[in-house]
Amino acid sequence: MTERSSPCRLVAAALAAAFALPIGVLVVRAFADAWRAPAVIPQRWGLRGLREALSGMALDAFANSLIVAIVVTVVAVALAWPAARVLGERRLRHPALPFLVLALPLLVPSYATGAGLTQWFLRLGLVDALPGLALAHLVIVLPYVTVVLLSAFGPPVTALEEMACSQGLTALQRLRWVTLPAVRPSLAAAVLLGFLVSWSEYGSSLAVGGGRPMLPLVLLPFVRSDPQVASALSLLFLAPAVAALVLAARAARSPL
Amino acid sequence: MSSHLECLDVTVSPDGAPVLRGLCLEVAAGERTVLVGPSGAGKTTLLRAIAGLASLDAGDIRLGGRSLRGVATHRRRIAVVFQEPRLLPHLDVTDNVALPLRAAGVRKAQRRALARMRLSEVGLAGLVDRRPPGLSGGEQQRVALARALCAEPDLLLLDEPLASLDPNRREELRRLVVRVQRERELTTLIVTHDRTEAAQLGERIALMLEGRIVQHDEPRKLFEQPVSAAVARFFGVRNLLHGTVRAGRLEVAGTEVAVPGPDGSAIVAIRPEHVRLDGGSPLRGTVVEAVYSGSHVRVVIQCGDQRIEAQLPVGEGPRAGEEVGVELSLHRLWRLPDGGTVRASAGPALRAGGP
Repeated sequence: MTERSSPCRLVAAALAAAFALPIGVLVVRAFADAWRAPAVIPQRWGLRGLREALSGMALDAFANSLIVAIVVTVVAVALAWPAARVLGERRLRHPALPFLVLALPLLVPSYATGAGLTQWFLRLGLVDALPGLALAHLVIVLPYVTVVLLSAFGPPVTALEEMACSQGLTALQRLRWVTLPAVRPSLAAAVLLGFLVSWSEYGSSLAVGGGRPMLPLVLLPFVRSDPQVASALSLLFLAPAVAALVLAARAARSPL
Repeated sequence: MSSHLECLDVTVSPDGAPVLRGLCLEVAAGERTVLVGPSGAGKTTLLRAIAGLASLDAGDIRLGGRSLRGVATHRRRIAVVFQEPRLLPHLDVTDNVALPLRAAGVRKAQRRALARMRLSEVGLAGLVDRRPPGLSGGEQQRVALARALCAEPDLLLLDEPLASLDPNRREELRRLVVRVQRERELTTLIVTHDRTEAAQLGERIALMLEGRIVQHDEPRKLFEQPVSAAVARFFGVRNLLHGTVRAGRLEVAGTEVAVPGPDGSAIVAIRPEHVRLDGGSPLRGTVVEAVYSGSHVRVVIQCGDQRIEAQLPVGEGPRAGEEVGVELSLHRLWRLPDGGTVRASAGPALRAGGP
């Protein structure tokens, strides 16, 4: 790392504090069995929050959310890759309309998208099932992944691929040794964003999910009724997100 | 093993409009040909078509007698050195050079050893562990050349390999390209837009104008015996005397000049460095411009309605406004074939001599 000036460090420290403070409060709240105002420190520490959080549907919801998020991210990257190539390499003569259609789920509230999809899913028998949830999330996740990924493609990557082609590399060798390393930072960002959007998706899960518990749906009612359980669930919610962030940051730097 | 390259009636339209129109070009096995022409003539398009990076609308490209139609780029055994080095930034220099060997399945230790040999051949033995972003433009281009050699191709294509370098580096890389090509007797096609570079780089030069090869010959022939006015102009001949030859003489600015060839309509060319000043010559003119150009003085002389450009040694040049005698000696005059009517878009490629 290069040396940074002290104002830079100050801003970085302030930002870190701004992010860390609410999470710190969350941790304290999750393990405070009794914490009445105006006390700064809880009167009694304990694991009631965690026990209650894990006794309900939370574990099911955690598993559902994780499976959906992983499947959606993988499928979204596979579908977004060719679209991002075409858009990023400016191969379309009139890219405005496809781009608008693609970005539409970003402009419409996700509950509306979910409600619209429900009408179709009812007829297709996809409501109240994980595939339906994954499909609904995919609609919302795909534009994010495409938009992030398309910035990776363009003349520099094409130039490297042409070089690789003339040096005798097969299509698979080009993908592994040239294209993937070249787009790695954008790909890592796209995967991270895709996972996080699906992981924290509320609106469409509510609309399509029916009885299927998803973590954000399980968490929200506790915010009013039992802040300690809500805090414990939030920590559960945060863990995979932080793990994804760390993995993505590492993948963006080190070779695949 | 080097191969004979033939381009037969090649037509290519990369973005709809045809850039190459029925182009014919041959490069003999082991020969170094420079493809020269103004920007937009289609030189890079031809290189891309030969490498398989642009598809043919018509015609055929053959390498070693075998048609390349339907052969994928990565199976053509044609290495390309692009205008930019196109190195992989996440690999060190040795792995970059070893890339074609890695594709061929050569084991790591062996391919790195081979790559280091190629690197020392291009004078980069000290940089084997460095990453490309830390290298200068000239060093990166040498790495690209070493990588192309590592593939042991049947044909080497270089697209303006010297264009992005400063003049001193350019000279070094030019020597290197010529040396490695000679040692391997590698069939090589080099693209440039610079006629001087073409003369220095090529055993033969092919001039490309408007998507066709108009003259393909030894460098000196293109400079001194152009087949058309367009070729003459590209190689720096602006002295084109038009007229009708009678009894072996052409009227120029009121006097007569002896010219070669039969009587009749003619265009006669003479290179500016072959024009001499001679006080006794009957062809008189006034110097309208004298520009010092470092190695010589460029002088423009107005003789009646004809302008004649001369390139004179520094110190011998007259000043603007002076009246001088101009000598156009018979053996330096070149009469364009067919009265100079061969145009870039009219006839097939002319290839004098050669196999």
